Amino acid sequence: MKEIIAVVRMNMMNQTKKALTEAGIDAFFAHEAQGRGKGFVNPDVLKGAGLGYEEAASLLGEKGKLYPKRMVTVVTRDDLVDDVVQAIIEANRTGKPGDGKIFVLPISDSVRVRTGETGEKSIV
Amino acid sequence: MMIMIRAIIRPEKSDAVLAALMDAGFPAVTKYSVAGRGKQRGIKIGEVTYDEIPKTMLVSVVNAADRDFVIDTIMKTARTSSKGAFGDGKIFVSEVEDVYTISSGVKETAAASEGVPA
Repeated sequence: MKEIIAVVRMNMMNQTKKALTEAGIDAFFAHEAQGRGKGFVNPDVLKGAGLGYEEAASLLGEKGKLYPKRMVTVVTRDDLVDDVVQAIIEANRTGKPGDGKIFVLPISDSVRVRTGETGEKSIV
Repeated sequence: MMIMIRAIIRPEKSDAVLAALMDAGFPAVTKYSVAGRGKQRGIKIGEVTYDEIPKTMLVSVVNAADRDFVIDTIMKTARTSSKGAFGDGKIFVSEVEDVYTISSGVKETAAASEGVPA
């Protein structure tokens, strides 16, 4: 079993949910988070700020600003991981910095509380 | 090999830790609010016990080689006073098998991300 943690844009949640359903994932959970990445900036804006345009400088903002994001967590079988990752990438990709990151982590066990089933049976 | 570092810290310390990580060259962090308790079973003030204390969770995925440095940076900044106090938080480390950047669709490896300037 694998845990897939994706940090995506807030306004992409509907597309992400749809893509997950199409990839065969019914169960997942999500919460709001704030984050920052490597901190890429538009080179034109940076140049403008360097030349002393106040408007451009205000666009840059302060260093290390956190942006609102959604964090989506999916636990799934090993063989579905690639499909799910590709589905999330396709749904969320705009090609601009800030699209988000996907992490894949190993999960040692899971339990369905209602029945007490463990392992892969509990996440189908 | 990359690792995920999850730090549960005091909310009032989160700005300081974020600034310290930025200066240390680890800008990429995700933060969210959580509530929890630790070994002390919450805080007892008078007759009232608070067992859901607000905390902030910071999540950062870094190269395994940077592990000790990042943990040290978080620990030093998040600690209250030099000795530390109950409630300063915990840091958890777990393995991350794959990392994908959505904007490029590229599967990142530790070797590739080492060359990227922070």
